[in-house]
Amino acid sequence: MAEQCAVVGVGQTHHKKKRADVSIPGLLREAAVRALDDAECTWADIDAVVIGKAPDAFEGIVQPELFLADALGGAGKPMLRVHTAGSVGGSTFIVGAHLVESRIHERVLAIAWEKQSEGNAQWGLAGGRGRGIGAGGAFAPWIRAYIEKTGAPEYIGWQVAVKDRLNALKNPYAHLQLADITIDKVKESPMLWDPLRFLESCPSSDGACAVVLTNEANGKRAAKPAAWIAATAVRSELGVFPGRDPVRPQAGVECAHDVYRQAGISVPRQEIDVAELYVPFSWYEPMWLEGHDIAGPGEGWKMVESGDTELTGSFPVNASGGVLSSNPIGASGMLRFAEAALQVRGLAGEHQVDGARTALAQAYGGGAQYFAMGILRSQPA
Amino acid sequence: MAATDIAVVGYAQTPSVRKARESEVQLLVPIVSKALERAGLDRREVGFTCAGSCDYLTGGPFAFVSNLEAAGAWPPISESHVEMDGAWALYEAWVRLQHGDIDTALVFGSGKSSPSKPDEMWAQQLDPYYLAPLGVDPASLAGIQARALLDSGKATERDFAEVVVRNRHNAKDNPNAQVSGDSSVDALLAAPYVRAPLRKHDLPPISDGAVAVVLARGDRARALCERPAWIRGLDHRIEVHQPGMRDLTTSTSTTLAARKAGFDGGPLDVIELSSTFSPQELILREALGIDADANVNPSGGALAANPVMATGLIRIVEVAQRIVEGNARRGLAHATGGQLLQHNLVCLMEGD
Amino acid sequence: MSPTGESTSPKENLVMEHLVSLTYSEELTPILERYVDALIDGRIVGHKCPSCGRVYVPGKGYCPICVVPTSEADEVEVGDHGTVTGFTIVTPVAYYGQTETEPFVYASVLLDGSDSNLGGQDIVGVPHDQVRSGMRVRAVWKPKDRRSGSGVSNRGWGSVSSVIDAFEWTGEPDMDRAKYEEHIF
Repeated sequence: MAEQCAVVGVGQTHHKKKRADVSIPGLLREAAVRALDDAECTWADIDAVVIGKAPDAFEGIVQPELFLADALGGAGKPMLRVHTAGSVGGSTFIVGAHLVESRIHERVLAIAWEKQSEGNAQWGLAGGRGRGIGAGGAFAPWIRAYIEKTGAPEYIGWQVAVKDRLNALKNPYAHLQLADITIDKVKESPMLWDPLRFLESCPSSDGACAVVLTNEANGKRAAKPAAWIAATAVRSELGVFPGRDPVRPQAGVECAHDVYRQAGISVPRQEIDVAELYVPFSWYEPMWLEGHDIAGPGEGWKMVESGDTELTGSFPVNASGGVLSSNPIGASGMLRFAEAALQVRGLAGEHQVDGARTALAQAYGGGAQYFAMGILRSQPA
Repeated sequence: MAATDIAVVGYAQTPSVRKARESEVQLLVPIVSKALERAGLDRREVGFTCAGSCDYLTGGPFAFVSNLEAAGAWPPISESHVEMDGAWALYEAWVRLQHGDIDTALVFGSGKSSPSKPDEMWAQQLDPYYLAPLGVDPASLAGIQARALLDSGKATERDFAEVVVRNRHNAKDNPNAQVSGDSSVDALLAAPYVRAPLRKHDLPPISDGAVAVVLARGDRARALCERPAWIRGLDHRIEVHQPGMRDLTTSTSTTLAARKAGFDGGPLDVIELSSTFSPQELILREALGIDADANVNPSGGALAANPVMATGLIRIVEVAQRIVEGNARRGLAHATGGQLLQHNLVCLMEGD
Repeated sequence: MSPTGESTSPKENLVMEHLVSLTYSEELTPILERYVDALIDGRIVGHKCPSCGRVYVPGKGYCPICVVPTSEADEVEVGDHGTVTGFTIVTPVAYYGQTETEPFVYASVLLDGSDSNLGGQDIVGVPHDQVRSGMRVRAVWKPKDRRSGSGVSNRGWGSVSSVIDAFEWTGEPDMDRAKYEEHIF
């Protein structure tokens, strides 16, 4: 029987377009020290470090974790570097959890980061060539296909964009703080990748997120309530092949069903109290609601329209402001798991969802082909 | 504690070559199939897949995504990737197998070093504030380490040359090795320095290659393989990055990893070390307490073939293969990451 | 340095620009060499999987679904007419190496006879707001003496840009969504 794994510390940086006040090690330590303080432990208590980030080309350093070992108390410890494109923050969390669940280590620091201002992410996403389409360009055709297939009204994307930025106002760490955002402002913002407009797209952020993961005994002993990992799963599928459904990727469906099964969830819509889903472009909220069978086919956008996914709604999505409000690419997946943990620990402050006891965290990456998902609860199994 | 009933039950590698005409994925596709075949495992039964590669080596962000095509990722699979040598992908798979819900895993590592200039590219694998701007290449760093070793009195240039002679000689029996042959220590010492005190033969070759491994646990391992190579211990440790802050003539992380992996200093029938520069073999031998007459690098080691990102996993395969084929009972494989032996992994394997 | 350890250097002196240039030289794989030769000749070739029969343009040397090798023996020719299966209009962002300044079409074209899309194609001859999925298009080839393989690489980016400038509407009625739904990727 696997060991129960608890999240006893969560830390993140103030995410900004450019953190000119810290070096890369400084950025990571800001998140890590917050997590260690939250867990009421020190660097010396950590047995292993798992670190994740998106492609190295985003900052122009080959395997940066090698030099970061010094800043992360890594000397003499095992260090693993996970890299699964956009889902990496989530898979880094999961690899860290496995180290505890297998009883190999007692206390693991899992950290994910990106300091995009020190490189050029657009250049990176374009593979260093001209005529780059960024990330939005790859997803826009699929978003168009979702809209055509479901007949969703055009304002759904704008609604999500406004909701997430208003939620971010309640999150002191969030990058975008757009107090005056409205549907009209989103609707009138420049078109980037038809049909996605500027204000429907994620920002480019510098940021890091860290968690301290530990075993059942330490989780129960922790001074603050722990978040308990009830399920984790990863799935990958080919990004390009005849017959692929990129709008509702099979890997996303199977990953979701794996975590639901592990957590004993049969009706996710009812049994999950809050969700942190990787939504870098507004329309991915309804698409993931359907893509993970929380809403039925063609029903995802209706959940948005009726306000179900608002902070005070029946199925709050991205109370933290989500990726639409902060996107340090390598860290964004970890932030979903970290925010889910904060929710079930009752420590999400102003963006806390009342009574959140079961939370869903999801990160995706590549051509919507890599998925990392988890269920966290306020009680151990 | 950690499981001891996970074994290598299948493997395959490409011959390392100076320049492969195929793409990295094309190198992987046939050997992934071969490794599964050798294990008698259907691709669809694999419980977890993990790959090791380096985007910068392959030459572009997200380059690793293409390698997914060799894994047979349709229907969807449970899969992950590390930006590290395949030996660490094996580590992640070994951890995953201990969850208890799956009993097989597929691991692979790959890299084509031929398209890039190692001196340029690996100079970016350093602290970007203090080291990378110096433009110091791997061979120069290794030269500094070699100098430190000479100055410590622990080795001579003759010792370096002897390492090369031994490894190249052993490589003659390895169909996958790239550089092999017989030479004399004196002949090697007559060659000019390239990064004093290192000569060209003290450096690894530039190689393209790939390797795949199948792991299985417990009864499944016994069902798939007559003589599984059981992983009795697996551990890895990293050291401080700044070269000026550690003793370059020792490998404390290798010693620690070996101890944590349960290596008690007992007899080993085969040892495979990922020393990419000849002086490093001497450092690692000392770190592991290896006798002068031990069977080290029968494959020829990394001096005979260095497909970066596969080199470490190949060491594991070379040991496992000898156990599976009944030619060894107990062996140790070592993998390294970063420059100057910064990160080290030790895998202790045994046959029944 | 101040007594509290804070830097007293002006902020601008704390930023260093380190521009790195790395050169990668890789010959095209033998399969892509043949692909380029055919393209320059005005033909588009791919590989047909001997196991499932799917056609990939260009050939990869394997079928990623069956994970079986493919070779010259599996080479097939496909037409230069096809269907737009998905698209977006991209507003270019400035970055080091960017070549575009005006919004451009980025469309996936399923060539007749192929099972894999040609990605990133420009559609010309119609205003952007008339580009649509299902459109029947044909290749606008560069004159033979201006064709080259420079756009093709092992990395998969670039594709046919050094041989085919864009695709244009053939004038035929649009294809039924059901017929291309399997290829919206």
